[in-house]
Amino acid sequence: MMSLQIVSSFDEENDHWKIELSGEIDISTAKIFRETLEKVYQEKQKDISLYFDQLTYIDSTGLGVIIGAYGKMKEKNNRIQILNPKQNIKKLLTITSLDQILL
Amino acid sequence: MADLLKFSIPGKPEYVGVVRLAVSSAANCAGFSMEAIEDIKVAVSEACTNVVLHGTTEENCYEVECKIEKDKLIILVTDLCGGYDTEKYLEPCLDKPKEGGLGIFIIRALMDEVDILSKLGEGTKIQMVKYLL
Repeated sequence: MMSLQIVSSFDEENDHWKIELSGEIDISTAKIFRETLEKVYQEKQKDISLYFDQLTYIDSTGLGVIIGAYGKMKEKNNRIQILNPKQNIKKLLTITSLDQILL
Repeated sequence: MADLLKFSIPGKPEYVGVVRLAVSSAANCAGFSMEAIEDIKVAVSEACTNVVLHGTTEENCYEVECKIEKDKLIILVTDLCGGYDTEKYLEPCLDKPKEGGLGIFIIRALMDEVDILSKLGEGTKIQMVKYLL
């Protein structure tokens, strides 16, 4: 119920990582989320698209993981972006102004 | 008369989600809208996450109190983690996004009133109020 599922695949056609998330990212699941981002980026240094269609909750620790990845990837001219966030998550991104760099 | 709900939670990451559910449920009982329930849920969860991240040992418990009043919900998150200097808190800056510091910022944005009382050597109390419209 309160877990996080992550499906990662490399989209050859669009030359980016497609990471689909479902469930909740909070203090108990942020670590596995961080490890997944680090692992895929280490494997192939390409842009990352996070599909939030099925993600119901993210907190500051989850956003922190994305900010960390954003900083590291920016140095190498790669981009990380969030796609299709639910309304509650969109609100959080707006409050924190992260929508300006992640949407 | 206000209704008072009290929870004592071990400082482990996996129980923050339990608080989230319990507080959402209390906010629902108090008659808040879906959007307001979401705000309360996020704010309380951030307060608990702060406790779990900064200081508390897994054996130690922290406390969450929800006071349901006629026109508002008051939530108090209390820990005995030693406190911190609230003067040193820096607001997050978009020009240089960093990983920490977002939690308190989010709480302040979502709740109507927020008071943080931290006593060095003792602990921290965060009181959050949301008004029923």
